[in-house]
Amino acid sequence: MKRKKTVRTAVAAVLTVILLMISLFPFYYMVVQSVLPWDRIDKELIPTGFTLRSYEYLMGTGGAGKSYIWLRALWNSLAVSLPTAVISVVCGLLIGYAVTKLSRFNGKKFIMDSLLFQMFFPTIILLVPKFMISKGMSNSYPGMILPLSVSTWAIFMYINYFRTLPDAVFEAAKIDGAGPLVIIRKIAFPTTKSITTIVFLSIFMGRWSELMWDMLISPKVEMQTLNVLISTQFKPMGNYPGPMYAASVILTLPIIVLFLCFSKYFKEGISFMLK
Amino acid sequence: MKGIHRKQSTGKRQESILGWIFCSPYLAFSLIFFLLPLMWAFWLSAMDWNLMGNDKTFVGLGNFAALFRDDKVQAAFINSYRYLLPIVILCFAFGLLIALLVSQLPEKVKGITAVLFFIPYLTSGVATSVVVKYLLAYNSVLSTFLREKHGIDVNWLMDKRSAFAIMVILVVWKMSGYYALFILSAIEGISEDVNEACALDGSVGLHKLFHVTLPMITPTLTTVIVLATGLAFGIYTEPYLLTGGGPNMATTTWQLEIYNASFTRFQSGYAAAMAILNAIQIFVTLRIINVVMDRFNRRFGW
Repeated sequence: MKRKKTVRTAVAAVLTVILLMISLFPFYYMVVQSVLPWDRIDKELIPTGFTLRSYEYLMGTGGAGKSYIWLRALWNSLAVSLPTAVISVVCGLLIGYAVTKLSRFNGKKFIMDSLLFQMFFPTIILLVPKFMISKGMSNSYPGMILPLSVSTWAIFMYINYFRTLPDAVFEAAKIDGAGPLVIIRKIAFPTTKSITTIVFLSIFMGRWSELMWDMLISPKVEMQTLNVLISTQFKPMGNYPGPMYAASVILTLPIIVLFLCFSKYFKEGISFMLK
Repeated sequence: MKGIHRKQSTGKRQESILGWIFCSPYLAFSLIFFLLPLMWAFWLSAMDWNLMGNDKTFVGLGNFAALFRDDKVQAAFINSYRYLLPIVILCFAFGLLIALLVSQLPEKVKGITAVLFFIPYLTSGVATSVVVKYLLAYNSVLSTFLREKHGIDVNWLMDKRSAFAIMVILVVWKMSGYYALFILSAIEGISEDVNEACALDGSVGLHKLFHVTLPMITPTLTTVIVLATGLAFGIYTEPYLLTGGGPNMATTTWQLEIYNASFTRFQSGYAAAMAILNAIQIFVTLRIINVVMDRFNRRFGW
């Protein structure tokens, strides 16, 4: 019995490694090509040379006509994704608390109905009118952040989470005279670690990879996110492959590092997404 | 004591005010960036308007009538099912495979392995498109190898079938590890008693998979299918960057066609009508899937 189990584990391990190698191959390829000398790019799987020329190229004009434009794009990505994630978390936290823990709040049903109504429509319907409303904010951070800043998914995650918390704790705090903001900050928020991690990272990642909206609202090259800048530079007869690989590495790496750092909260969070 | 008493008598009003304050950022956002655009979209769908000019002509249901004669719309409509079927099946198959493999591993490495499988999900479609486009180019290491060693000479992204297959593979590659987390979490939720009973009854391997494990996780199956359906309807980045929806509209999607109609051909009213048709299709498809999955779940006692 024991022996059989060992064999099974070994087979699973071998298959896992093979699948992982296939699944992670594009990242390996991307990193290798980004450090190959330019005349060997796309010609080798196992690198025979090493250079940082592709990265250095991005530090200059990087083929996009303006100096430091790639650094600027990286900054723009951060300047858009971070506030979006924060807004989503704060909104979700507040509504989640209001709908589940303020037992005498008379707008509970209205808010729930409004959320469900909103989830019913795919966002693509709103594309043109949303663009018309936001046109005045084009090429600005608010124009990129505000129209995409509230996520009904994030709100539902918090609502579902708070439903599982016992009301007694909050009632006790209320009787002790704690104000609502204190309760949220000191009691509700600290227990939401795994939910907040998963919501924050998912929203951050989604915003970091957004293409359509950023392309529309920020056509000016100084205001483009890294994601958009790569996609506009990466065309037939566009930029050199080396720097495109390097930029893709820079685009991908921060997200992966962020997730690996917080992966221990992940499994807990996932079990909530199933509810 | 006095304080508490006062708080309780005015509590209802206070709590309601507080509730509305807490919900106000969401309500303001929804008014400006949801409700207003939504009504605008329905109004636009009855207009012939070029996005920039002042001339708007009321055409009633004219835009909707024109949709049915548009081969781009037909392609987007049919393609969403062509995408849906292989994507749902393959995502679920690979997700299940990954989850089953990971569940067999020692407790210590389970978490990190699941996270490693999750990494493709984190990758922007732009970065993947860069890799795929260069990897499939005529002079790349892969194309050269296939041409010289195996005599395979395909222009991957210009051939209808291979271009479509590549789009499907990209989505499945990206999403499988994500769905695997859901399935894994459900498998781990199966209680030890069940596993012990199986061991006693000698139910192992495929028999256990089909008669115990899968029936126990059918609700998760529903979740995965619904999520994958939403995903299949939202494909945009990869065809936009790699094929432009071609060759001959084989890889085009609703998102791509709505974007093009709105912002490259400037047929804004028409695009709004297109988006509404798309929404109806999504709604009906999800309804059908829900009904079917409900029946299916009930058969397994859920």
